Amino acid sequence: MKKRLALILASAMLVSSAVCSLTSCNGGGAGGSSAKGHVYYLNFKPEQDKAWQDLAAEYTEETGVTVDVETAADGKYEETLSAAMARSDAPTLFQVNGPVGLANWKDYCYDLSDAAVTKELTNDAYALKADGKTYGVGYVTETYGIIVNKKLLSDAGHSLDEIKDFDSLKAVAEDITANSAKLGFSAFTNASLKSGDDWRMQTHLANLPIYYEYKADGISSTDAIKGTYLDNYRAIFDLYLNNSTCDPKIVTSKTVDDARAEFISGQAVFYQNGSWEYARVSEALGDDNLAMIPIYIGVEGEENQGLCTGTENYWTVNCNAAEEDIQATLDFLEWVVTSDKGTDALANKMNFVSPFKKAKEATNLFEKMSIDYTSSGKTAVSWNFATMPSEAWKTELGSALAVYAANPTDDTWAGVKEAFVDNWAAEVAKSKK
Amino acid sequence: MEKTMKKNPLYFCLFLLPTLLAFMIGFVIPFGMGIYLSLCDFNTVNDAKFVGVENYMQIFQGDDTFVHSFWFTALFAVISTVAINVIAFMVAVLLTKNFGGTNLFRTVFFMPNLLGGVLLGTIWKVLLNGVLVMFKETLTTKGVYGFIGLLILIIWQQVGYMMIIYVAGLQGVSDDLKEAARIDGANNRQILFKITIPLVMPSISMCTFLSITNGFKLFDQNLTLTGGEPMHNTEMLALNIYNSFYDRIGWKGVGQAKAVIFFLLVGLIAIVQLKLTQSKEAD
Amino acid sequence: MESTKKLKTADEIKIKRKKSDIIFTIVFSIISVFWVYPLIMVLINSFKEKMYISLNPFSLPDAESSVGLANYDQAVNTQMNFMAGMWNSLVITVLSVFLILLCTSMCAYYVTRVNTWYTKVFYYLCLFSMIVPFQMIMFPLSKVTDVLQLNTPYVIPIVYLGFGAGTAMFMFGNFLKSIPPDIEEAAMIDGCDPIKTFFLVVLPIMKPTVISVGILETMWIWNDYLLPYLVLKTRLYKTVPIVVQYFQGGYGRVEWGAIMASMVITITPIVILYLFLQKYIIKGVLSGAVKG
Repeated sequence: MKKRLALILASAMLVSSAVCSLTSCNGGGAGGSSAKGHVYYLNFKPEQDKAWQDLAAEYTEETGVTVDVETAADGKYEETLSAAMARSDAPTLFQVNGPVGLANWKDYCYDLSDAAVTKELTNDAYALKADGKTYGVGYVTETYGIIVNKKLLSDAGHSLDEIKDFDSLKAVAEDITANSAKLGFSAFTNASLKSGDDWRMQTHLANLPIYYEYKADGISSTDAIKGTYLDNYRAIFDLYLNNSTCDPKIVTSKTVDDARAEFISGQAVFYQNGSWEYARVSEALGDDNLAMIPIYIGVEGEENQGLCTGTENYWTVNCNAAEEDIQATLDFLEWVVTSDKGTDALANKMNFVSPFKKAKEATNLFEKMSIDYTSSGKTAVSWNFATMPSEAWKTELGSALAVYAANPTDDTWAGVKEAFVDNWAAEVAKSKK
Repeated sequence: MEKTMKKNPLYFCLFLLPTLLAFMIGFVIPFGMGIYLSLCDFNTVNDAKFVGVENYMQIFQGDDTFVHSFWFTALFAVISTVAINVIAFMVAVLLTKNFGGTNLFRTVFFMPNLLGGVLLGTIWKVLLNGVLVMFKETLTTKGVYGFIGLLILIIWQQVGYMMIIYVAGLQGVSDDLKEAARIDGANNRQILFKITIPLVMPSISMCTFLSITNGFKLFDQNLTLTGGEPMHNTEMLALNIYNSFYDRIGWKGVGQAKAVIFFLLVGLIAIVQLKLTQSKEAD
Repeated sequence: MESTKKLKTADEIKIKRKKSDIIFTIVFSIISVFWVYPLIMVLINSFKEKMYISLNPFSLPDAESSVGLANYDQAVNTQMNFMAGMWNSLVITVLSVFLILLCTSMCAYYVTRVNTWYTKVFYYLCLFSMIVPFQMIMFPLSKVTDVLQLNTPYVIPIVYLGFGAGTAMFMFGNFLKSIPPDIEEAAMIDGCDPIKTFFLVVLPIMKPTVISVGILETMWIWNDYLLPYLVLKTRLYKTVPIVVQYFQGGYGRVEWGAIMASMVITITPIVILYLFLQKYIIKGVLSGAVKG
C-alpha cells in the first residue's frame, strides 16, 4: 500500500514538474537558433504558399539563414496563430489585419519604427501605428469593385461610358434583366450569401456606407455607427439580388466559387470582387474583355469615386522571439522588399501590388485600373474593415442580409439595420474588456 | 489474483502507470489549466492574467446566444438519442433474425461510422442542399431545416454503431429463456418488453450514454453542415464556445468559462442518465 | 443466431417464416441502397468538374461534366503533398490505436480487478473525461504538448492515449466487470502470474471488445482534425484532414472536385480495413461474447 502511494506521488511529482516548467516558460528560446538566427513566417494567404516557400529557399541559399514558411488553412489564421504563439518555437513573423487585430496581438508585436522595411514604404498610411509607434507594415494593397465582362456588356447594347453613377448602373442592369431571356445572361452574378462566403456583401460592400459616413463626419473610426447611408446599401444590395443569375431565395446556398463560375462562363456581366481574382478571370476571359468599375451606391458626388483600394495585411514581428531571430527576420523583410529576387516574387509570382519604393510594376490589370482612376482625379475608397468592431459583427450582418434576401421586406431590413447599427455599439462594448 | 497484483508494485507500473501518465498529460493537467484559464483574461496560454469570475458574468450579461444554443443542443441531444436508439434497436432485433443477407446489411449500416465529422457534414450539405434547392430553400434559410438536417446526419452516422452493440447484447439473451416464456403463453410483445429489453439493459445504458454525450459534444458536423446559421439558430454549444474564442477580441476567457459551464451541464446529464438506466439493469 | 430448428413447430410456420424472410431481405436491400447512397454520391461527384458538383450533385458525369481522374490528380499532386499526409495519418493512427488498445486494456484489467480507492478514482476520472468537450482543454493541451515536445507523428500517440483513454477504459471496464474472475483464478492456480493470465486468458476473451474499441479509436484518430492541428508541428507534419482543409483556399475558392476526390482517397483505406475486419467483428458478435 505504501509503495503504491509512493509511486503515485512520484508520478504526480513528475507530472507537476512538467506543469511548473509550463508556467515558468515564457516562449523564448526558439528551436534551431544559431548565431545567425532563423525566420519562421506564418503566412496568411494559402494561394501564395508556394511562392513564399520558393522565395524562402532562395534566401536560405543566398545567406544561409533558415526561413520556415507555414501557411494557415483558409479562415484558420487566428486559430493557428493563437496555438503557434503559445509554442516554444513561435513564429517570428506573422500578420495582423489592422487596428483591431493589432489591439489583440500588441503584446507580441515588435516596434518597427526604425526598421529598414518601414522606411521602404512609399506612403506612411501603410504603416500600422499605435501609441506613436509602428507595429505593422502593410505589404500588399488590393483593389475591389465591380468586375465587368465588356464583351457581354456590348452584346447587351451598352458600354462602360454609360455607367457614371448608381442610377446609370441601375438602368443598365435593369435593361439587361428585361432582356435576359433573349440575351442568355444576367446582369449580376449571385450574391453568394452562404455563411463563410458572404464577405463580399457583409464586409466589402458594407465598407461603402461606412466609408461615406466616416467621410461625412470627418472621422476614421467610431464606437457607434449611425448608418447614415444604409438606404444606399439597401439599394445596391437590392440591385444585386433582383438582377442576378439566381433566385434571391436560394442565394444563401451560393458560394463565391459559384459566383465566379457564373462570371467566367459568361452567365453574368457584373461580378463584385477584387484584384485577387485577376489570374482566374483573365485566364478565362482575357484582359481585353475585362474592366473594373467603382461600386456606386447613389451618394452625391460619386462620379468622382474610384475603386476601393487598401490593405488588411500587415507584417508584424514577434517581439518575444530571441534577439538574433528578430534581427534575422528584419533582415529577411528588408531583402524581400529591396532585392531583385524579392521584389520580383512579390510582383510577378504573388501578383501583389506592394507599397514599397523598389516594388516592381504591377501585372494585375485591376490594380493598374485602380492607378488609372486615381491619376485621372478620382478618389480611391479606403478600406475600413479593420474598424469593424469584431468578426461577430460581420457574421451577424451576413446572417441578417441572408434573412433579408430570402424575404425582402422593411421588417427584415430592420434586422439588417439592427445588425449594422445597434450591434456595432454592442460589439464595441463587448470587446472592450 | 487481486492480492498478487496489489502486493507487487511491478504490476502497478506495468498495468496502470502508462495509461495514468498519459492521462495526466492528455487530460488531467490540461483540464486543470483549463479551469484556471476560465478565470483569466488571455490571448495565448502564456499571457493569462487572473481576473476572477468576470468571464462567467460576461456570459450571461453580454451574450444571449449561449442560452439559445444550450436549449437547441439539449433538444437535439434528447431527440437524437431517442431516435438513434429506437432505430438501432429495431434494426438489431430484425438483423438477429435468420434471413438472407443479415451480415451484408450489418456491414452496410455500420459503414457511415467510418467517416469523420467533417466529411459527414460536407457530404450531407451537398446532398440536402441539392434536394432543398428544388423547393427554392437551403439548409440555412430556416433553423428547422438545419435541425432536421443534423438529425438525419447523426442518425445515419450512429445507428450502425449502436446497432452492433445491440446485436451483441441481443445475442447474449438465450433463446431458451424466450422459448420458456413462449411456452408459458407470453406473446412476442411481452417477450420483448419483459425479457429481452431488461436483459439488454446494459447495452441500452451504454448506447444512450454514448449517444447523449455525442449529441451534446457535436462539433465538426455542426460546423460543416450549417455553421450555426441562420443567425446562430442552429449553433450548438461546442460551436458556440469555439466561435467565442475567435469572434471577438479578448473573449478567449469567456469561451473557456462557457466550456466549464458546458461540461458541468453535460456531466450532470450523463450522471442522471446513467443512474436512470443502471437502476433498470437486470443482473 | 437463433434458428428455426429449435422451434418445435409445424411445417406451415416454417413456410410462413420463409416468406417473411424474403420480404425482410427485400426491404433491407432497398434500405441498404439508400443507406450507402451518400457514399456513392461522393464517388460519382469525384469524377465531375467542380462547377457541376455544386450545381447538381445528383447527376451522373456526362461528356460535359466529366473530368476523368483530373480531380484525383489535383488532390494528390498539389503543393500540400497529400501522400506525405497519408503517411503521417497512417503512422499516427496505427501507433495510437495499438498503444491505446494495449495500455487501456491492461489498465482496465488492473482497475476492475484491484479494488481500492485510487483505482476507483481513476476509473471515474476516465468516465468523466468522456464528457469534457475538447474545446475546454484545447489551449492548455497544445501548451502541455509543446513543453513535452509531443509534436511529431511518432510521439503524438501518447497524447491520444491520454485523451482517448476515457472511452476505451469505459468499454473495457464495462466488459471486464461482466465476466467473472473464476477463469483467471483457475489460471493462477495453474501457475500463471498476472501478466501471463492477462495475455493468455483475459485478452483472448476480450477480443471482440478489443476490436470494437479499435474501430472506434481508429475512426476517431484517422478523421481527427483539431487535435493534430493544434498539437503537431504542422509546418512539418500534416495529416489527411489537415491537408483537405487546405483545399478550401483563400477568398472562397473551394476546390469541390479535389475535395470529393480526397474524400474518396481518405475513405477507401478505412473501408477496406473495415471490410477485412468485418469477418472478425461478426464472429466476435456471434460468439455472444460482447456484453453491453
